[in-house]
Amino acid sequence: MATTNAKITLSSDITDDSLSVNNESLLYTAGTTTGANTMTSVTKVLASTNQVDLITTGSVSTTHGYVYINNPDTDNTRHFKVTIGNAGGGSPTDTEEIGRLYGGDWMFMPWDVDDDICVAPSDGNDMTVEYMVFS
Amino acid sequence: MATTATITLESLDIAGDPVNVSKTTTCTKAGTTTDLDQTTGLNRVHLRSTTNKVLLAANAEGNDLSAKVYIINKATDPTLYCTITINAQTVGKLYAGDWMFIPWSQTDTSASIEIAATNWTASTGDIPVEYALFHEDTDFLTNA
Repeated sequence: MATTNAKITLSSDITDDSLSVNNESLLYTAGTTTGANTMTSVTKVLASTNQVDLITTGSVSTTHGYVYINNPDTDNTRHFKVTIGNAGGGSPTDTEEIGRLYGGDWMFMPWDVDDDICVAPSDGNDMTVEYMVFS
Repeated sequence: MATTATITLESLDIAGDPVNVSKTTTCTKAGTTTDLDQTTGLNRVHLRSTTNKVLLAANAEGNDLSAKVYIINKATDPTLYCTITINAQTVGKLYAGDWMFIPWSQTDTSASIEIAATNWTASTGDIPVEYALFHEDTDFLTNA
């Protein structure tokens, strides 16, 4: 089994007393202390605003994983709409929008591998998206 | 007033070569370089409901605005998990120690983030969960 650490450091001075959160977790297979042992790391350049299946359920052989997605763009206005849901007939449909990753944003979440994770670029000119899946 | 979030993903043995990814984002208002200026602060709840409960209620005014959500399962029993759902769409399961940090669109009032202590029983004990919301909209008091 592999050992993979996922650490977050959150710092905010929005409130009068600042917020500082540090947490580190080991990425395990579902409900165990056995480390996730599979990783996928992909960079894609998307050249249209069409919604695309970024991470498909068929790409993972377990029922629990962790997904990291990064928008490395330096333009804060260019974003990906990240959705999860059923991808019907090869064309993503019936999806629920999670959120929008603007240039410089990243996200990390567990994934139950029931439905594909899709993205739609805001700009039809080349937009790069990076993702990793641990399972 | 800045809010920054840094992720570090490290593994020495999940691949033939070490993996070390680190990325910091400054949380800004949608499509701008202006810092987010509102937060719920860090909250802690103890879950014992096996059915979905609203953790963060969506506000339709938040659609097209920026919001970031942090949630962590602070349980220590590795089998205990909570299920995260948005508008009846399951996103994933946070097992003990797991955390997530996501943008949140609040496409409409149905897009609340819900949580369930799915495999809680009287003998497992409550599942402690901590969460925080950072956002920009002006009228977002339902999470207080």
